[in-house]
Amino acid sequence: MSTRVLRLVMIAIAMVGLGVASYLTYVHYAGGPILCLKGGGCETVQHSTYSKLVGVPVALIGLIGYIVILASLLVPESETTRLSTMTFTVMGFGFSLYLTARELFSIHAICPWCVSSAVMMTLLVCLAVWRFLRGDAPPTGALLRPSEPDSAAPLTAPGS
Amino acid sequence: MTPASGTDPDLTRKERREQARSERKAMEAAAAQAARRTRMMQLGGVIAAVVVIVVVIVLATSGGKKEGLATGSQKNSTVAAVSTMVGGIPQSGNVLGNPKAPVTLQYFGDLECPICKQFTLGALPPLIAKYVRTGKMKIAYRSMETATREQETFRTQQIAALAAGKQNLGWNYIELFYHEQGQESSGYVTESYLQGLAQQVPGLNLPNWSAARSDPALAEQITSDAQTVTQRGFTGTPSFLIGKTGGSMQQLSPESYTDVAAFTPTIEKLLG
Repeated sequence: MSTRVLRLVMIAIAMVGLGVASYLTYVHYAGGPILCLKGGGCETVQHSTYSKLVGVPVALIGLIGYIVILASLLVPESETTRLSTMTFTVMGFGFSLYLTARELFSIHAICPWCVSSAVMMTLLVCLAVWRFLRGDAPPTGALLRPSEPDSAAPLTAPGS
Repeated sequence: MTPASGTDPDLTRKERREQARSERKAMEAAAAQAARRTRMMQLGGVIAAVVVIVVVIVLATSGGKKEGLATGSQKNSTVAAVSTMVGGIPQSGNVLGNPKAPVTLQYFGDLECPICKQFTLGALPPLIAKYVRTGKMKIAYRSMETATREQETFRTQQIAALAAGKQNLGWNYIELFYHEQGQESSGYVTESYLQGLAQQVPGLNLPNWSAARSDPALAEQITSDAQTVTQRGFTGTPSFLIGKTGGSMQQLSPESYTDVAAFTPTIEKLLG
């Protein structure tokens, strides 16, 4: 997968996550009923004590998280931005794990919205770690191109 | 021996080129190796930091007492509060309230469920005061396993509450259980815990309570509740069914478990 395509895929996933987090934040502050699958435990989760962390709704924390991840993907790519994206997504993934564990073992209800956000964050962290570890995409065939031994010119990809 | 630099006059142009290329490859491989090592260390550092943060959050949000049962003055005040809340209201088995009340609320709970505790200590007391004590509504407590890890423990504790219901003191037992609920998954629900709670229920005949715990009808009631849960597709506790007494029951999904206002519109509508 090319660097550009990988980044676009991650941006698309982050946008979906941002949408979910925006809706949950809106419902939290608007106080209206939450759209949920039949038998889903959205209300149970949304109104549990675990729906806030030190007084801040977890939906808002998620929203901020997705905004930060998206911002790190939209700036020009470099080693630093890849590190930033990876750091933010690992943090988001850790938080998602915590919230999912709370749903399963403390609240005993599953909110499909939260599950979808956790899935988005899992995809993001996998892609972000892969992107970070592989660094710059290797220029195809660069090492195979013979060059003059006394040339100071840097290696370049064919056709560049 | 091949010199390190590519300037050996004996080498042909092609050989010098090949040598330079392999040196460059080796340098690039070493640089890539170093970069990969640095990235792995950075990744490890980030993961370690996040693990620490998550552990801190888990510890900070895992409140609650491990042992459960209140003692001393705390026990006395809890027992008094529960007696005040349900005292003087008719009880029959798992039902609190006038049997002829026009509205019935079915409360599906797990005695170890912390969210049920929020409801029981939050919206339930004003519901009891406003609708149950005045004879407008009755509440039936039904069992749904969620928080309790072991099925056997779940059945034992729920049956213990229903056994108190055989003496029309089931709601005292249920309320005391939620008021003195211990930390989830800490294994606090033991035989001595259940016995201790029973001893706190004013007027409960302990030998009769113990004997009633082996009544197969109570176990069947737990099974029947589980079937209703499956039919209704409930996924979490507390869950509620509400309707006119003797009529069809509809699921109630309140927006809050601590605010009575989340329940009143539905109840008022049913009361007409």
